[in-house]
Amino acid sequence: MSANPKHIRESQGLPTRKWYERLNFLNVLIIIFLFLTLYSGKNLVQENRSADVMAGIDYFLKKFFPPDFSNFHLILESLAETFQIAIVSTFIAVILSLIISTAASRNISPAWLVQTTRMFLNVTRTLPSLIWAFLLVIFFGPTPIAGVLALTFYSLGYLGKFFSESFESMDIKVARGLKLIGAGPIQAFLYGLWPNVKAQVWSQSLWMLEYNIRSASIIGLVGAGGIGMELNKAMEMASGFQRVTAILICILFIVITLDLLGQAIRRWITQKISPKSISD
Amino acid sequence: MSCLKTKDLGLRRNERWLFKNLNLNIPAGSVVAILGPSGVGKSSLISCLSGSESPTEGEINFECKAGEIRNPENISPELGIIFQSLRLTEHVTVLENVLYGKIAQYGLKESFFGFPESDKNIAYETLKELGIAHLAYKWTSQTSGGEKQRTAIARTLFQDPKFILADEPVSNLDNYYSGRVMGLFRNLASQEKKIIFCALHDPQLISRFANYALSLNPERPENWNLREIKPKL
Repeated sequence: MSANPKHIRESQGLPTRKWYERLNFLNVLIIIFLFLTLYSGKNLVQENRSADVMAGIDYFLKKFFPPDFSNFHLILESLAETFQIAIVSTFIAVILSLIISTAASRNISPAWLVQTTRMFLNVTRTLPSLIWAFLLVIFFGPTPIAGVLALTFYSLGYLGKFFSESFESMDIKVARGLKLIGAGPIQAFLYGLWPNVKAQVWSQSLWMLEYNIRSASIIGLVGAGGIGMELNKAMEMASGFQRVTAILICILFIVITLDLLGQAIRRWITQKISPKSISD
Repeated sequence: MSCLKTKDLGLRRNERWLFKNLNLNIPAGSVVAILGPSGVGKSSLISCLSGSESPTEGEINFECKAGEIRNPENISPELGIIFQSLRLTEHVTVLENVLYGKIAQYGLKESFFGFPESDKNIAYETLKELGIAHLAYKWTSQTSGGEKQRTAIARTLFQDPKFILADEPVSNLDNYYSGRVMGLFRNLASQEKKIIFCALHDPQLISRFANYALSLNPERPENWNLREIKPKL
């Protein structure tokens, strides 16, 4: 039997690589990033823009303390509305994102559809939630509906991106294998792809809910409902600074509690529906 | 009686022919072992037969009943495939992976209400036969390489197709289970007249269980060779 051509190549020794093949691009990026930081830092710290920080702290302590909880029932009502805005907007965004993200995944959809969908997701993500709220208040007036739609659009941009990246990280060959033995496209997705990706989707959706509760507290500043509207009213009052402190304390308490709760639920879900493999 | 025929089948990849002018006529009840060194094209031939890769030239015909010719595009669910990479859904139980074997028979109803109990019992019996019944409700991601391979084999046995393509189906199994799996294949071929195509390395397994050996030639892709072997069993 004649020699295998692969063996002839192997006997010639290790081939040398060109300089650009050996270049570590990550290190180059770190150096570029360092230069940009030094340049930006120099521009940001300017003599004439420095403020009297101590005077600021003194003013803050005198004006904002002690907190005024006299309107606590109003704060609670606004917090409930904040929750409702966050929950409804996250639910709608999760459903829409699941559909849109399959169109934005390179391993599932054709290139033209992926490009179009990603462009749409990029546009929705570019505008911060506050700007979305500001625009939608123009259409719907100062109502919680404007808030719900604002957070839905914003979440869609993020969840669509997250979900499509999760789908892309999965081995599509599993679903293709099922199609070869007779599964339809929906079955191939449900049995070959979804079980492997659902823990991530759950985790990302919960993260989005936490994020939306934080966002829903702010969008009221432009009139889109929730605790932010109460905050806005208090700030406009001449003697409302202590009420502002009370509202901020409530927001802080709720956000920290939810962060901790969200982390625990995410960990529980990940372990429950996607246990680690024995090789991990 | 079913049979598998290829006509002038050829596959060219990266400017190199892996096999060419492959003309086979495999009768029902055969276990065909595909031989050759790594990279010779054994998996590629299985990919062509399964329809996951299109051949460069030639055609593949599966005859399920006399006169009923099908090709890789419309042979499912009569074609079972044991992939080299197994292609199991990691985050479901071993039993569920086996049940996916009959996926073509199920509709969307099963995704909400679960698979039929009768099928679950049959799938469980298949797991018993391969010695992994104790893993039925274990997550597939938490099983070992050999256990996963037996799960993939159980899925195909549960599917009960007329044709089975197996790409190194016993590579992660010990001698006992290698012999047991190949013995099961041999019985399915002799008793149920199935056709089984296996990429195999172990000469002992080939001489014991196969009745055809197809050798691919890396230097001369058109010089493939199919010889008949009398199985020892």
